[in-house]
Amino acid sequence: MEITLIDVAIISLYFILLAIVAYFAKKKIRGLTDYFLAGRRLTLPIFIATLVSTWYGGILGVGQYSYFSGLGNWLTQGIFYYIMALLFALFLAHKIRKSNLFTIPDQLEKFYDKKSRFLGSIFNFILVTPAPYILSLGVIFMFLFGVPKWIGIVIVLAILIAYTLYSGFYGVIYTDFLQFIFMMVGVALVVPFAIAKYGGFEFLTANLPETHLHITGGLTTQMILVWGFIAFWTFVDPGFYQRCYAAKDSKIPRKGILISIGFWILFDICTTFTGMYAFAANKAGHISIEILENGLPQPEVYMIFANSVLPPVIMGVFLIGIIATLMSTIDSFTLLGAMNISHDIYKNTFKPDATDKQVMKVTKIGIVITASFGATLALFFSGIISMWYTIGTVCISTLIVPVLGGFFIKTKKPPISGVLSMIAGAGVSTVWMINGYSNLSWGWPVYWFEIEPMYPGILAALLVYLFIIGTSKIYKYKGVV
Amino acid sequence: MDIISIFLIFDSVVLIVATLILTYFFIKDFLKGKLNHK
Repeated sequence: MEITLIDVAIISLYFILLAIVAYFAKKKIRGLTDYFLAGRRLTLPIFIATLVSTWYGGILGVGQYSYFSGLGNWLTQGIFYYIMALLFALFLAHKIRKSNLFTIPDQLEKFYDKKSRFLGSIFNFILVTPAPYILSLGVIFMFLFGVPKWIGIVIVLAILIAYTLYSGFYGVIYTDFLQFIFMMVGVALVVPFAIAKYGGFEFLTANLPETHLHITGGLTTQMILVWGFIAFWTFVDPGFYQRCYAAKDSKIPRKGILISIGFWILFDICTTFTGMYAFAANKAGHISIEILENGLPQPEVYMIFANSVLPPVIMGVFLIGIIATLMSTIDSFTLLGAMNISHDIYKNTFKPDATDKQVMKVTKIGIVITASFGATLALFFSGIISMWYTIGTVCISTLIVPVLGGFFIKTKKPPISGVLSMIAGAGVSTVWMINGYSNLSWGWPVYWFEIEPMYPGILAALLVYLFIIGTSKIYKYKGVV
Repeated sequence: MDIISIFLIFDSVVLIVATLILTYFFIKDFLKGKLNHK
C-alpha cells in the first residue's frame, strides 16, 4: 500500500503534537501521586477519554475478527465487554476509588498479605504488557513505510519511552485526550465513505455469508463462551483501576464508565461494519486480502480497505486514528507495568523506607523495562489475537478469584487463600494451555476434553480459595486456631 | 438509501458530535483549572 506525502505529513504532525502535549503535562508533576495518578484530579470528560482510548487497543485484532465473523465480532469483542463494564461501574468503581490505593496488588495486600501482593504484581505485570499493541504498531509501520518489523518496533519504543517517562500519568491522560479525538473521528469516517463508494446494505447482503449478518457470526458456542469469559478481564484490568483511583471523587468512575460504554457501542458499530465491508469488497474483487493459516485475514485488513475508500488527508486522519488507538493503550500499560515494578515490588515488597524520589527513579527504569519486555515479546510472537488470548487466559484465571473475592466475600479470609488460589489458577490454566498448543489443528490449539484452559483455571482457583476459607472456619469453630 | 445505511451514517455522526461535546467540556475544565492542584 502506498500512502501520499500529505498523509505522511499528517502522521508526523500527530507525533509532534504528542510531544508538545507531553511537554506541557510534565510541568504539572510535583510529586509521586502526580506521576502515578495525576494527583487524583481526573474530572468526568478526561476520565471518559482516557478510559475509552486505553481500554480499546486491539484495533487490528478487531479488524481481523470483524472480517472473520461479521456481527459475531460485536458480540464477542463488544457486547460482553459492555456487560462487564456495566457491572464494574455498578458494583466496583466507587469501592475502588474510596480505597484510595494505587494498584491492584495494593488491593491484594489489603485483602490478604504481602505474598499475594508480590505474586499478584508479577501477573499484573504480564497482564499489562504492551506487547500485542507494540506488535500491532510494528505491523502498521512495516505496512505503511515498508520498514522491517523490528525497525517499526524500535521507533514505537523510542517515542513511547520518551513521552511516558518524561511526563508520567499526566502525560498519559493529556495525550490520551488527543488520541481519543483522532481515534473516534478517524474510525467514524470510514463507514460513510464505504457506503458512498460501494453502496448500502444490499452490497453487504450480496457479498457476505449469511452467518456474518447473524449476531453469533457463525462462531461455535464454545468460542463465544470463551470470549465471554475473556471479557472478565475488565474486572482485573489495571487500567480501569488506575483511572478509578485517579478520579476526582467517588461518583466520577461510575458515571464515567457508563458514558464510556456509550462511546464503545458507537465505535464498535463502526469497526464491525468496516470489517464486514472489507470482507464484501474482497469478495467482490475490489481489494485483495490475504487469508492466514488459521482462517483470519492479514492484520492490515482495515488499512487496505480504508485505502480503497478514503481520499488523501482523510486517509491520514484515519491512520492517525488507528495509531492513536494503539499508542493510548501502550503508554498506559507501560506506566502500569512500571508502577508494578517500582510501587508494588521495589517499595512495598523490598524497600518499604524508599523515598518518593527513589520510587520515581525506579518507575522511570520500570518504564524502560516494561516497554523493552513488551517489544521483545512482540518480536517473537506473530499473532496479535493469540497473544491477547494467551495472556488473558492465564492472568485472568490467576487474578479474578482473589480480587473479586476480596471485594465481595465479607467473611474473614485467611491471608494464604490469596496466594494459593493464584498459584492454582495460574498452574492449571498454564498446563492446560501448554498441552493445547502442543497439539495444533489448523493453527488453533486442541485442549483436553476440548475445554478452554480458562474454565479449569478459574475453577481451580475458586475451589482452592473456598476450601481454605471453609477449612479455616471449621478450625476456628473447633477452637484449633 | 436503506435503513441500515442511514443508521450507520447516523452512528458515525453521533460519535463525532459526542467526541466534540466531550472535548468542549474538557477544555472548559482545563481552562477553569479543575485539573490543577488545590
